[in-house]
Amino acid sequence: MKTIVITGTRKGIGKEMADHYLAEGWQVVGCSRGEGSIEHDHYQHFALDVSDEDAVIAMARTIKASHGKVDALLNNAGIASMNHALLTPASTVNRILQTNVVGTFLFCREMAKLMRRTENGRIINFTTVAHPLNLEGEAIYAASKAAVESLTRILARELAELKITVNAIGPTPIETDLIRGVPQEKMDALLARQALGRMGEVRDVINAVDFYLREESDFITGQVLYLGGIN
Amino acid sequence: MRHAANSLATKTALQILHMPDRTAIQSLILESVQMLAEDFELEALKAPNPQTALYGGDGSLDSMALVNLIADIEEALAEKFDVSIALADEKAMSAKNSPYRNVASLTDAVIERMPT
Ligand SMILES: NC(=O)c1ccc[n+]([C@@H]2O[C@H](COP(=O)([O-])OP(=O)(O)OC[C@H]3O[C@@H](n4cnc5c(N)ncnc54)[C@H](OP(=O)(O)O)[C@@H]3O)[C@@H](O)[C@H]2O)c1
Repeated sequence: MKTIVITGTRKGIGKEMADHYLAEGWQVVGCSRGEGSIEHDHYQHFALDVSDEDAVIAMARTIKASHGKVDALLNNAGIASMNHALLTPASTVNRILQTNVVGTFLFCREMAKLMRRTENGRIINFTTVAHPLNLEGEAIYAASKAAVESLTRILARELAELKITVNAIGPTPIETDLIRGVPQEKMDALLARQALGRMGEVRDVINAVDFYLREESDFITGQVLYLGGIN
Repeated sequence: MRHAANSLATKTALQILHMPDRTAIQSLILESVQMLAEDFELEALKAPNPQTALYGGDGSLDSMALVNLIADIEEALAEKFDVSIALADEKAMSAKNSPYRNVASLTDAVIERMPT
């Protein structure tokens, strides 16, 4: 049985992806700061903050003991904050960078070690169209995801010798708590900039994840795929 | 490139109860080096001792072999002594102070990170 680690599985896109891969017969290991919300024989939850280095290391050791190896990692846990730059406190900046950048990095580092003995390791990071669209009000969120994209491209090279591919997906807005606070007119303006002007759905994300996960995708690494026709 | 699972997996209740001393940690590292040397066919590392150079200078590990060795040692420490530490280090690329210079410096790095 293959094992996939998904961060941020308590709710939102992460939870739906976990449900999907469980239904597809994967062993899923998830995490979030809160307690798990998935009950399944093949699901294991860790309540931790993805930016807590010791907790992430301990999680990796536990997975090594229980599962032996990891085949894929979806670095989905992420937070956003919509605010004018001049009104954004440094504490918010730190919180976003810690979760989105440090968390993504720590999971890449620790899970890559557990992928050494698989022939087809897969790491998939989560970015956003807010970065290529230079969305006003999302300076820190978009900057944190720009860092995730850079990490993706460089790790693709550093981990190539371990036969691990590292790619990213940049969804358009999807109805979750993450975008709850965004005013409707902002949302409409954003959708209007997409080639395909509808709201995104988790199935759109899963479709792109499936593509990266395929064994045949072993020649695809360091790529960032935006949904909805954004580039 | 890939290598067999670490044979240090066997852990006894005694080993978990007592924190390992320097000798125990050093022999775990020596054993990991030896196994890696077999897998990567590195003659110079097949019979290592505490002064055996590993990385940088006269060391015979390239960066990919080093990454594998560090991950092997971290796994072995977890399996044998039930401790989870990461050997990531800011001084990794420093010729003089890198903890990855030789077996002895690597042993120091592990001891430094052991939970007290
Ligand atoms: N929804 C969108 O429109 C959209 C668009 C583009 C990209 N994305 C990206 O997609 C990913 C998922 O977003 P979403 O919409 O599903 O968000 P969401 O509904 O707010 O869910 C976020 C998930 O991450 C967990 N999480 C947050 N901070 C964490 C931390 N520090 N440590 C561990 N877990 C943490 C949350 O659980 P806890 O609260 O229990 O920690 C939750 O399960 C994010 O990376 C986001 O940037 C989303």
